[in-house]
Amino acid sequence: MDFGIDAATRVLLERAREIGEREVRPAGLEADRMGAPLPPDHSYFKRCIERGEGRTRWRGPVGRERPAGPRRTTVQTLLVAEEYAYWDRGIGVANPGVGLPEGNVLAIGTEEQKEHFLTPFLELDRPRWACFGMTEPGAGSDAAAIRTHARKDGDGWVLNGGKCFIGNASRADWILVQATLDPTKGRAAQRAFFVEQGTPGLGGFKIEKKMGLKAYESTSFSLEDCRVPASHLLGGEQRDTSRAGFSTAMRTFNAGRPVIAANAVGIGRAALDEALRFARDEDRLGDPRVRDRLEAMTRKLRMARLLCLRAGWLADREQPNIVEASMSKAMAASLGQEATTLGMELLGSRAARGDHLIEKLYRDVKAMDIVEGTGQVQRVIIARQLVQLPR
Amino acid sequence: MFDLDPGEELALLVETTRSFAAERLTPSLREAEAARCVSPATRAAFEQIGLRGLELPEALGGVGLGPVARVLVNEELGAADPGAALALDGPGPVAGALSALGGEEAVTQALASLPEDGRALLVDLADAKLQVEGGHLQGVVPWVPAERADVVLVLGEEAAWLTTGGYRLEPLRGAGLRAAGSAELVFEKAPVVARFEGRAAVEQARASARLYVGSLLLGVLRGACDFSREYALQRQAFGRPIAHHQALAFLITDMRMAVDGARLLLHDAAWRIEAGLSAAGETAGAFAQTIEAAATIGPAGVQILGGHGFMQDYPVEKAMREARALSSWLGGLDAAREDAGRALLAHAGPVPLSAGER
Ligand SMILES: Cc1cc2nc3c(=O)[nH]c(=O)nc-3n(C[C@H](O)[C@H](O)[C@H](O)COP(=O)(O)OP(=O)(O)OC[C@H]3O[C@@H](n4cnc5c(N)ncnc54)[C@H](O)[C@@H]3O)c2cc1C
Repeated sequence: MDFGIDAATRVLLERAREIGEREVRPAGLEADRMGAPLPPDHSYFKRCIERGEGRTRWRGPVGRERPAGPRRTTVQTLLVAEEYAYWDRGIGVANPGVGLPEGNVLAIGTEEQKEHFLTPFLELDRPRWACFGMTEPGAGSDAAAIRTHARKDGDGWVLNGGKCFIGNASRADWILVQATLDPTKGRAAQRAFFVEQGTPGLGGFKIEKKMGLKAYESTSFSLEDCRVPASHLLGGEQRDTSRAGFSTAMRTFNAGRPVIAANAVGIGRAALDEALRFARDEDRLGDPRVRDRLEAMTRKLRMARLLCLRAGWLADREQPNIVEASMSKAMAASLGQEATTLGMELLGSRAARGDHLIEKLYRDVKAMDIVEGTGQVQRVIIARQLVQLPR
Repeated sequence: MFDLDPGEELALLVETTRSFAAERLTPSLREAEAARCVSPATRAAFEQIGLRGLELPEALGGVGLGPVARVLVNEELGAADPGAALALDGPGPVAGALSALGGEEAVTQALASLPEDGRALLVDLADAKLQVEGGHLQGVVPWVPAERADVVLVLGEEAAWLTTGGYRLEPLRGAGLRAAGSAELVFEKAPVVARFEGRAAVEQARASARLYVGSLLLGVLRGACDFSREYALQRQAFGRPIAHHQALAFLITDMRMAVDGARLLLHDAAWRIEAGLSAAGETAGAFAQTIEAAATIGPAGVQILGGHGFMQDYPVEKAMREARALSSWLGGLDAAREDAGRALLAHAGPVPLSAGER
């Protein structure tokens, strides 16, 4: 048993801390003040590219692979995700890169698809994004209920429908769109399609106005007779008979749960540090009521972090972590919220001025209990395992 | 680097303890509660697998293991019968506390002559009205989970005192942990036979005791969760197992999360102690978190069984009472929060969250 963090991971965290303080926090605050995502040509993104960020994990076409870099463990990834979110969680999502769909593409994309869609992310010439579009106005938690429809037409596919809340969609080079071949057949009939920016029929982009996490765009868009070639069906036509479409999407979400949990711990920790600083500056630490609440929050965030790391540790050992991943997400999201609420309460009426970092964190963290499965959905997932809760 | 695997040796110890608990403790938990003691056969089995005096040095017939082993073992024992666990482990939390106060020498001096069925008791000054005057202890401890005491260790703020006589135990009915006995402990000019000084050492001793009690409590909570979950899968209402009503499914889920979270905090704290890091704040926090979990899980375990849970035919009401009794020990929640809060404020700058941040 070992609860220590080794030297190599400390180096990673130190670097994240340094970039976080110098780059990430100011960029996040700027976007929050503007009330809009940082534009794609913002100098912050250029500096990301100069630092070598946003590169794909894909190593290049077969036979011409690049040497494998040092591979991060899941535990390391989670600790770094926590540290970035400590400085600003919205910016973490706004950062250039393939983002959410990368896992899907690596897992079931054909070699041609990887080459076509990931090559620009091997070495970024400019800030580039990709994104994953699952949620629709009528289908979020119940992802099996999506209505965006794909119809085979000659040597291609024609997509009709619309998506909402999709991160980075309007600036993405391509969107991996989840669609159904037959809405009456549920999950089994779902597939994912690459839709490149500029494809006729893809449009109606509308960047939502959000309560928090303003640094990145959450965008709705429509697909009207949007035609993509057959080669843009993720995994190719051979996969037609399998359930890969839906389960692939769910796998992406599953892998992401502990990361969102770690983000929530990071936001909560930022709120706790700010609250502690505020209480110290205001000479309130002698008040046992104040101290007790800070104490409780500290141990609860420690607990949330340990739950995240447990989920990551299992993943690193390639052991099933469905329950643990969902637990970390359910617990961390609500504790992150609790930490920011505590901060707001300590600030008192000052919180209502709307100019304190804690106030921003309070708005930001709420989404951690919504994205990639709400707290209730996490409990449904856990309960399926613990008590075979029927679907 | 972060690794939750306890290793082969400890995994085997856990397995052995679990089998012992299932074979010896669970079947006779009501008997032990009524008799206010454990049977000689159970005691012999406990000795035989080497669970008595886990922390004791080998010279005293112990195994010489540390706090990580202790929390793992106590969870298993607590899940079956925490009162019996206390009755069986004569040195109890005193072994670890003494080791923090005075090392192996102190442990040997105090516990070498402890009879096989003897008990060493740990008293926290926070739980009692005691005076230490002229080398004597005087006053009353309202409750101890025991009916005999061969050695008593009293933990103060900056000192600890050991005594071996000059006190009596007045049996009480007891609210929980009755298998260990239940008594009021009255000191009548009890002579102090050893005195330990130093806030840091006392803090470590208290941390070790909190781990001991906290891990027994964790076991009780796990036991209540497991039992009520299985019941909820059998019991039908409105045409399906009650576990398949989302209100109960989510309750069961939240109970499990609370247990898992508390366990990780206790393990983290135990690891810190074993790694020689300061752990007073982390241990107090872990204890507080476990007590808070107990406040909901104890009653929730009964709730899941409905009226049946209220009856003594099922163990969940016992778990609710015993969780409460364990939660009251060592100053309970308030003292733990006091210590964890103090440790937090002693730290300037960002809050350190995990053991890795030394
Ligand atoms: C900031 C932000 C960014 C996002 N980014 C993306 C993105 O990049 N890509 C993408 O595809 N999506 C994205 N989403 C969408 C997100 O995944 C969905 O909002 C989420 O899955 C919830 O779906 P919904 O909003 O339709 O809520 P609903 O599913 O309508 O849920 C409403 C309420 O019902 C509860 N509920 C639902 N089902 C159950 C059940 N079985 N039992 C109990 N309670 C239940 C929910 O917990 C919730 O409280 C984003 C959302 C936000 C807020």
